[in-house]
Amino acid sequence: MKPFRAARGGNVVARLDPAEATVVGLLLDQLEQLLAADAEDVGGDPVLARLLPDGHRGDAQIAADYREMTESALRGGKADDLAVVRATLPVGGGDLRLDVDQATAWLRSTNDLRLALGTRLDIRDDTEPPEEITGEEDQQLAVYYWLTAMQGSLVDALVDVRSGRS
Amino acid sequence: MAGPLAPERTPDTTVDEDHDLARPWVTIVWNDPVNLMTYVTFVLQELFGYDEQTATTLMLQVHHEGKAIVSSGPRERMEHDTSRLHAYGLWASYQRDT
Repeated sequence: MKPFRAARGGNVVARLDPAEATVVGLLLDQLEQLLAADAEDVGGDPVLARLLPDGHRGDAQIAADYREMTESALRGGKADDLAVVRATLPVGGGDLRLDVDQATAWLRSTNDLRLALGTRLDIRDDTEPPEEITGEEDQQLAVYYWLTAMQGSLVDALVDVRSGRS
Repeated sequence: MAGPLAPERTPDTTVDEDHDLARPWVTIVWNDPVNLMTYVTFVLQELFGYDEQTATTLMLQVHHEGKAIVSSGPRERMEHDTSRLHAYGLWASYQRDT
Protein backbone atom coordinates (compact mmCIF):
# COMPACT_ATOMS: atom_id res chain seq x y z
CA MET A 1 0.00 0.00 0.00
CA LYS A 2 0.99 3.51 -0.72
CA PRO A 3 -0.87 5.42 2.01
CA PHE A 4 -3.44 8.10 1.29
CA ARG A 5 -2.23 11.64 0.77
CA ALA A 6 -3.82 14.88 -0.34
CA ALA A 7 -3.45 15.62 -4.05
CA ARG A 8 -4.24 18.53 -6.30
CA GLY A 9 -7.83 19.49 -6.89
CA GLY A 10 -8.97 18.54 -3.40
CA ASN A 11 -8.62 14.83 -4.11
CA VAL A 12 -6.87 12.14 -2.12
CA VAL A 13 -4.74 9.42 -3.69
CA ALA A 14 -3.38 6.04 -2.60
CA ARG A 15 -2.26 2.76 -4.12
CA LEU A 16 -3.38 -0.72 -3.10
CA ASP A 17 -1.48 -3.93 -3.77
CA PRO A 18 -3.47 -6.70 -5.48
CA ALA A 19 -3.75 -8.75 -2.27
CA GLU A 20 -4.88 -5.69 -0.33
CA ALA A 21 -7.62 -4.87 -2.84
CA THR A 22 -8.80 -8.48 -2.63
CA VAL A 23 -8.93 -8.38 1.17
CA VAL A 24 -10.90 -5.11 1.15
CA GLY A 25 -13.37 -6.65 -1.33
CA LEU A 26 -13.87 -9.70 0.89
CA LEU A 27 -14.34 -7.56 3.99
CA LEU A 28 -16.94 -5.47 2.14
CA ASP A 29 -18.83 -8.68 1.29
CA GLN A 30 -18.85 -9.67 4.95
CA LEU A 31 -19.98 -6.24 6.09
CA GLU A 32 -22.76 -6.22 3.53
CA GLN A 33 -24.04 -9.62 4.71
CA LEU A 34 -23.88 -8.47 8.31
CA LEU A 35 -25.85 -5.31 7.61
CA ALA A 36 -28.51 -7.33 5.79
CA ALA A 37 -29.28 -9.22 9.01
CA ASP A 38 -32.65 -8.76 10.70
CA ALA A 39 -33.20 -6.07 13.27
CA GLU A 40 -34.12 -8.76 15.80
CA ASP A 41 -30.56 -10.06 15.64
CA VAL A 42 -29.03 -6.76 16.67
CA GLY A 43 -29.22 -7.41 20.38
CA GLY A 44 -27.66 -10.84 20.08
CA ASP A 45 -24.65 -9.97 17.95
CA PRO A 46 -22.03 -7.70 19.53
CA VAL A 47 -20.73 -6.59 16.12
CA LEU A 48 -24.17 -5.52 14.87
CA ALA A 49 -24.85 -3.91 18.24
CA ARG A 50 -21.68 -1.87 17.78
CA LEU A 51 -22.46 -0.89 14.18
CA LEU A 52 -26.10 -0.04 14.99
CA PRO A 53 -25.81 1.12 18.59
CA ASP A 54 -28.49 2.04 21.09
CA GLY A 55 -29.26 5.75 21.16
CA HIS A 56 -30.12 5.80 24.86
CA ARG A 57 -28.57 3.92 27.76
CA GLY A 58 -30.83 3.03 30.62
CA ASP A 59 -34.26 3.62 29.07
CA ALA A 60 -35.29 0.74 26.84
CA GLN A 61 -38.35 2.56 25.50
CA ILE A 62 -36.38 5.62 24.38
CA ALA A 63 -33.75 3.32 22.87
CA ALA A 64 -36.46 1.40 20.98
CA ASP A 65 -38.09 4.61 19.73
CA TYR A 66 -34.71 5.92 18.57
CA ARG A 67 -33.96 2.68 16.75
CA GLU A 68 -37.31 2.72 15.00
CA MET A 69 -36.74 6.32 13.93
CA THR A 70 -33.14 6.07 12.76
CA GLU A 71 -32.02 2.51 12.06
CA SER A 72 -33.21 2.21 8.50
CA ALA A 73 -31.47 5.48 7.52
CA LEU A 74 -28.32 4.34 9.32
CA ARG A 75 -28.32 1.02 7.43
CA GLY A 76 -29.07 2.84 4.18
CA GLY A 77 -26.16 5.23 4.69
CA LYS A 78 -23.79 2.36 5.34
CA ALA A 79 -25.04 0.57 2.22
CA ASP A 80 -24.50 3.73 0.15
CA ASP A 81 -20.95 4.09 1.51
CA LEU A 82 -20.26 0.44 0.72
CA ALA A 83 -21.44 0.94 -2.85
CA VAL A 84 -19.09 3.91 -3.29
CA VAL A 85 -16.12 1.93 -1.95
CA ARG A 86 -16.94 -1.01 -4.24
CA ALA A 87 -17.28 1.25 -7.26
CA THR A 88 -13.93 2.94 -6.62
CA LEU A 89 -11.92 -0.06 -5.34
CA PRO A 90 -9.27 -0.91 -7.93
CA VAL A 91 -9.93 -4.58 -8.69
CA GLY A 92 -6.61 -6.38 -8.76
CA GLY A 93 -4.92 -3.46 -7.04
CA GLY A 94 -3.73 -0.12 -8.36
CA ASP A 95 -4.11 3.60 -7.95
CA LEU A 96 -7.01 5.17 -6.12
CA ARG A 97 -8.09 8.75 -6.65
CA LEU A 98 -11.07 9.95 -4.64
CA ASP A 99 -12.92 13.22 -4.35
CA VAL A 100 -13.90 14.38 -0.87
CA ASP A 101 -17.35 12.73 -0.93
CA GLN A 102 -15.92 9.40 -2.09
CA ALA A 103 -13.12 9.68 0.45
CA THR A 104 -15.63 10.32 3.23
CA ALA A 105 -17.52 7.18 2.21
CA TRP A 106 -14.21 5.26 2.38
CA LEU A 107 -13.55 6.80 5.77
CA ARG A 108 -16.90 5.64 7.22
CA SER A 109 -16.75 2.21 5.59
CA THR A 110 -13.20 1.47 6.70
CA ASN A 111 -14.24 2.59 10.17
CA ASP A 112 -17.13 0.11 10.07
CA LEU A 113 -14.75 -2.63 8.93
CA ARG A 114 -12.42 -1.80 11.83
CA LEU A 115 -15.33 -1.70 14.30
CA ALA A 116 -16.55 -5.08 13.09
CA LEU A 117 -13.11 -6.71 13.19
CA GLY A 118 -12.15 -4.93 16.39
CA THR A 119 -15.29 -6.11 18.18
CA ARG A 120 -14.86 -9.70 16.97
CA LEU A 121 -11.21 -9.69 18.03
CA ASP A 122 -12.03 -7.98 21.33
CA ILE A 123 -9.49 -5.22 20.67
CA ARG A 124 -8.51 -3.32 23.84
CA ASP A 125 -6.49 -0.17 24.35
CA ASP A 126 -3.41 -2.28 25.07
CA THR A 127 -3.81 -4.78 22.20
CA GLU A 128 -0.62 -5.01 20.14
CA PRO A 129 -0.11 -5.98 16.49
CA PRO A 130 0.97 -9.64 16.13
CA GLU A 131 4.72 -10.15 16.01
CA GLU A 132 4.34 -13.21 13.83
CA ILE A 133 1.38 -14.78 12.10
CA THR A 134 0.80 -18.22 13.59
CA GLY A 135 -2.96 -18.60 13.23
CA GLU A 136 -6.15 -17.19 11.81
CA GLU A 137 -6.62 -14.74 14.65
CA ASP A 138 -3.13 -13.31 14.03
CA GLN A 139 -4.07 -12.91 10.39
CA GLN A 140 -7.23 -11.02 11.30
CA LEU A 141 -5.27 -8.87 13.73
CA ALA A 142 -2.79 -8.07 10.98
CA VAL A 143 -5.67 -7.08 8.68
CA TYR A 144 -7.12 -4.93 11.47
CA TYR A 145 -3.84 -3.06 11.90
CA TRP A 146 -3.44 -2.70 8.15
CA LEU A 147 -6.92 -1.11 8.00
CA THR A 148 -5.93 1.11 10.92
CA ALA A 149 -2.88 2.38 9.02
CA MET A 150 -4.92 2.92 5.86
CA GLN A 151 -7.70 4.78 7.69
CA GLY A 152 -5.17 6.82 9.65
CA SER A 153 -3.56 8.02 6.43
CA LEU A 154 -7.00 8.79 4.98
CA VAL A 155 -7.93 10.94 8.00
CA ASP A 156 -4.63 12.82 7.74
CA ALA A 157 -5.11 13.34 4.00
CA LEU A 158 -8.63 14.70 4.49
CA VAL A 159 -7.40 17.04 7.24
CA ASP A 160 -4.81 18.31 4.74
CA VAL A 161 -7.47 18.76 2.06
CA ARG A 162 -9.69 20.64 4.51
CA SER A 163 -6.90 22.99 5.51
CA GLY A 164 -5.80 23.51 1.91
CA ARG A 165 -2.50 21.66 2.27
CA SER A 166 -1.74 19.47 -0.70
CA MET B 1 -20.45 16.58 33.75
CA ALA B 2 -19.96 19.11 31.03
CA GLY B 3 -16.32 19.94 30.59
CA PRO B 4 -15.27 23.56 30.54
CA LEU B 5 -15.23 23.60 26.78
CA ALA B 6 -18.37 21.59 26.17
CA PRO B 7 -20.49 23.80 23.96
CA GLU B 8 -23.82 24.89 25.37
CA ARG B 9 -26.96 25.08 23.34
CA THR B 10 -29.38 27.00 25.51
CA PRO B 11 -32.92 25.68 25.39
CA ASP B 12 -35.62 28.09 24.36
CA THR B 13 -37.29 28.05 27.73
CA THR B 14 -35.04 28.15 30.74
CA VAL B 15 -37.54 29.28 33.34
CA ASP B 16 -39.84 26.45 34.25
CA GLU B 17 -41.37 25.38 37.52
CA ASP B 18 -40.79 21.81 36.52
CA HIS B 19 -37.02 21.61 36.68
CA ASP B 20 -37.07 18.19 35.07
CA LEU B 21 -38.57 19.64 31.93
CA ALA B 22 -36.23 22.62 32.00
CA ARG B 23 -33.10 20.50 32.02
CA PRO B 24 -31.63 20.22 28.55
CA TRP B 25 -30.69 17.02 26.83
CA VAL B 26 -27.11 16.18 25.98
CA THR B 27 -25.30 14.07 23.41
CA ILE B 28 -22.43 12.01 24.81
CA VAL B 29 -19.55 10.34 22.98
CA TRP B 30 -18.17 7.30 24.82
CA ASN B 31 -14.64 5.99 24.64
CA ASP B 32 -14.00 2.89 22.59
CA PRO B 33 -10.73 1.16 21.81
CA VAL B 34 -11.16 1.13 18.02
CA ASN B 35 -11.89 4.66 16.83
CA LEU B 36 -8.69 6.56 16.10
CA MET B 37 -8.09 9.75 18.06
CA THR B 38 -7.48 11.68 14.84
CA TYR B 39 -10.72 10.27 13.41
CA VAL B 40 -12.80 11.32 16.44
CA THR B 41 -11.35 14.84 16.25
CA PHE B 42 -12.04 14.97 12.50
CA VAL B 43 -15.66 13.85 12.93
CA LEU B 44 -16.38 16.32 15.74
CA GLN B 45 -15.09 19.14 13.53
CA GLU B 46 -16.99 17.86 10.51
CA LEU B 47 -20.35 17.45 12.26
CA PHE B 48 -20.38 20.31 14.74
CA GLY B 49 -18.08 22.83 13.10
CA TYR B 50 -15.78 22.95 16.14
CA ASP B 51 -12.33 24.41 15.66
CA GLU B 52 -9.43 21.99 15.94
CA GLN B 53 -8.62 22.91 19.53
CA THR B 54 -12.19 22.45 20.81
CA ALA B 55 -12.56 19.15 18.96
CA THR B 56 -9.19 17.93 20.25
CA THR B 57 -10.08 18.85 23.84
CA LEU B 58 -13.37 16.94 23.60
CA MET B 59 -11.63 13.95 22.01
CA LEU B 60 -9.05 13.88 24.82
CA GLN B 61 -11.83 14.08 27.40
CA VAL B 62 -13.47 11.03 25.78
CA HIS B 63 -10.14 9.23 25.76
CA HIS B 64 -9.09 10.00 29.34
CA GLU B 65 -12.41 10.25 31.18
CA GLY B 66 -14.36 7.71 29.16
CA LYS B 67 -16.95 10.13 27.80
CA ALA B 68 -17.63 13.74 26.90
CA ILE B 69 -20.69 15.85 26.22
CA VAL B 70 -20.35 17.05 22.65
CA SER B 71 -23.62 18.97 22.32
CA SER B 72 -26.63 19.97 24.38
CA GLY B 73 -30.09 21.28 23.61
CA PRO B 74 -33.63 20.08 22.89
CA ARG B 75 -34.24 16.35 22.80
CA GLU B 76 -35.00 16.20 19.07
CA ARG B 77 -31.73 17.88 18.22
CA MET B 78 -29.81 15.47 20.47
CA GLU B 79 -31.49 12.53 18.72
CA HIS B 80 -30.36 14.00 15.45
CA ASP B 81 -26.80 14.63 16.69
CA THR B 82 -26.60 11.07 18.01
CA SER B 83 -27.74 9.66 14.67
CA ARG B 84 -25.14 11.73 12.81
CA LEU B 85 -22.40 10.43 15.14
CA HIS B 86 -23.65 6.86 14.66
CA ALA B 87 -23.38 7.33 10.89
CA TYR B 88 -19.64 7.88 11.47
CA GLY B 89 -19.37 4.93 13.85
CA LEU B 90 -18.77 6.97 16.99
CA TRP B 91 -20.17 5.43 20.14
CA ALA B 92 -22.76 8.04 21.07
CA SER B 93 -25.97 8.32 23.06
CA TYR B 94 -28.28 11.08 24.26
CA GLN B 95 -29.95 11.63 27.60
CA ARG B 96 -31.35 14.28 29.84
CA ASP B 97 -28.55 16.30 31.41
CA THR B 98 -27.72 15.15 34.92
